[in-house]
Amino acid sequence: MGEFKSGFFMSETACNGRVLVVDDEPDIRKVVRMTLQKAGYEVIEAENGEKAIEAINTGENRLLLDVLICDIRMPKINGVEAIAYFQQEWPRVPIIVLTGFPDTDMATSFLRSGVVDYLVKPVEGEKLRTAVARAMEQRELAQL
Amino acid sequence: MTSNSTKIAIIGAGRGGTALLDLLHQIPDVDIVGIADKDPTAPGLQRAKELHVPVEEQVHDLIRNHGVNLIMDVTGDPSMAPFIQAMKRPGAEVLSGATTRLLWKLVQHQSKLEAELFQADKLAGLGSFAAGIAHDINNPLQLILGLAENLTDEQDLAVVHDQARDITEAVKRTSAICRDLTRYARRNGTGEDVMVNLNTKLDEALRIARYAVTLQDVTVVKRYAEDASVLGNPDELLHVFINLITNAVQAIQTRGTLTLQTTVSPDGHVSASVSDTGCGIPKEAFSKIFEPLYTTKPPGKGTGLGLYNVLSVISKMEGHICVESDVGVGTTFRIEFPQVQPTTSCAPL
Ligand SMILES: Nc1ncnc2c1ncn2[C@@H]1O[C@H](COP(=O)(O)OP(=O)(O)O)[C@@H](O)[C@H]1O
Ligand SMILES: [Mg+2]
Repeated sequence: MGEFKSGFFMSETACNGRVLVVDDEPDIRKVVRMTLQKAGYEVIEAENGEKAIEAINTGENRLLLDVLICDIRMPKINGVEAIAYFQQEWPRVPIIVLTGFPDTDMATSFLRSGVVDYLVKPVEGEKLRTAVARAMEQRELAQL
Repeated sequence: MTSNSTKIAIIGAGRGGTALLDLLHQIPDVDIVGIADKDPTAPGLQRAKELHVPVEEQVHDLIRNHGVNLIMDVTGDPSMAPFIQAMKRPGAEVLSGATTRLLWKLVQHQSKLEAELFQADKLAGLGSFAAGIAHDINNPLQLILGLAENLTDEQDLAVVHDQARDITEAVKRTSAICRDLTRYARRNGTGEDVMVNLNTKLDEALRIARYAVTLQDVTVVKRYAEDASVLGNPDELLHVFINLITNAVQAIQTRGTLTLQTTVSPDGHVSASVSDTGCGIPKEAFSKIFEPLYTTKPPGKGTGLGLYNVLSVISKMEGHICVESDVGVGTTFRIEFPQVQPTTSCAPL
């Protein structure tokens, strides 16, 4: 039934957009997926920066990726490095940082570098959905 | 060796005498020839028996003892000084009254400083834990919040049950963090020595070190001997291992292996070692790494107090530390602990 429900949502809203969530914790990917699917987004997951870059480079994702949500503290390629890479390679894909560590210096430097939002866990579903919706607007503006 | 050692007689077994006993018997080159007090019930005499220090019944016998080259008067009795001067052998020197008290104060001050350095190192460690702790608390909180929000309108009863269980688990994981950290931050009280299982301590240290250093790209290998236990202070040993593990992981720049090992030899000697495949320590730095404040790390990553504290804990336990290192290959810090129950006294034949 759960399966059916999410499928139903997606077809009804005809997919509001495709979001890639990069976080090393499966639990976090799971709740972000749950939260965003309720608002009709399609969610793809990657467990670190390396996997995210791989995911974006394969198949049709590259063309269809609308928003990227990224953690900071991760193994392999960490969030800071990954975000710098994404910004350079896919400057039009808006990025939301979702981190467990509130660090004002880091937040400022990210926001200056063009990251659209810096959210600190735990973040309420509504706030996350609003952030993604705002990022989607930016994405659409960029496409004009 | 015997000719260099200071042979001390302690006169007075009150508080001062007891404290001197506790202090002096730990120092390798100091030999306590005996202790004496006019009062046979003085507390220091009992302590002397526990430490296997000879108790002399007559004060003047001890003063006249041939082997003594330093007499410490801690009786606080003004008539004792002239008495000692009159009785002592020509070669023996006397420390009395104010001098002994000053000596005692210096020692206490020194050990207070060491305790402060130990605590300073731990607090510096806590600072570097902030990001790791935030990560480990906020991630489960995010899960709990997300699931709880979903539960407000979830219709599927099976999903409700699953998610309620996930929430319970997440709460448990989070509270384990606080338990580890309060144990770490605790100031060592006068904690009695107890039997400490080194394998469990190494595991605990690894959990805590994770807050300071990311272990994801490090392969951890454990080679534990069964029943590797030593008599010691559990909080101090925890800190020793956290320091060695943190250093090891910091030495591994990209990927590598961290090996935690304990051994118990057939004759009951216990050792613990922490090895890494990191940058290694150049030969010329070997003599410096245990000095306080020696660090090659940028501010915020190192205080230079880690190994200094490791060494002082291990020396206090009468253990040894050996370091083996090759630049570019890796480093092993090995601690050899003293035997727990000395099989009677090993008197030379
Ligand atoms: N496992 C190790 N591999 C390489 N160098 C090490 C290792 N452990 C210690 N060192 C060296 O010894 C120095 C002192 O270590 P320590 O007393 O723990 O202070 P800190 O870690 O704060 O620098 C370090 O800065 C480092 O240069
Ligand atoms: Mg250190």
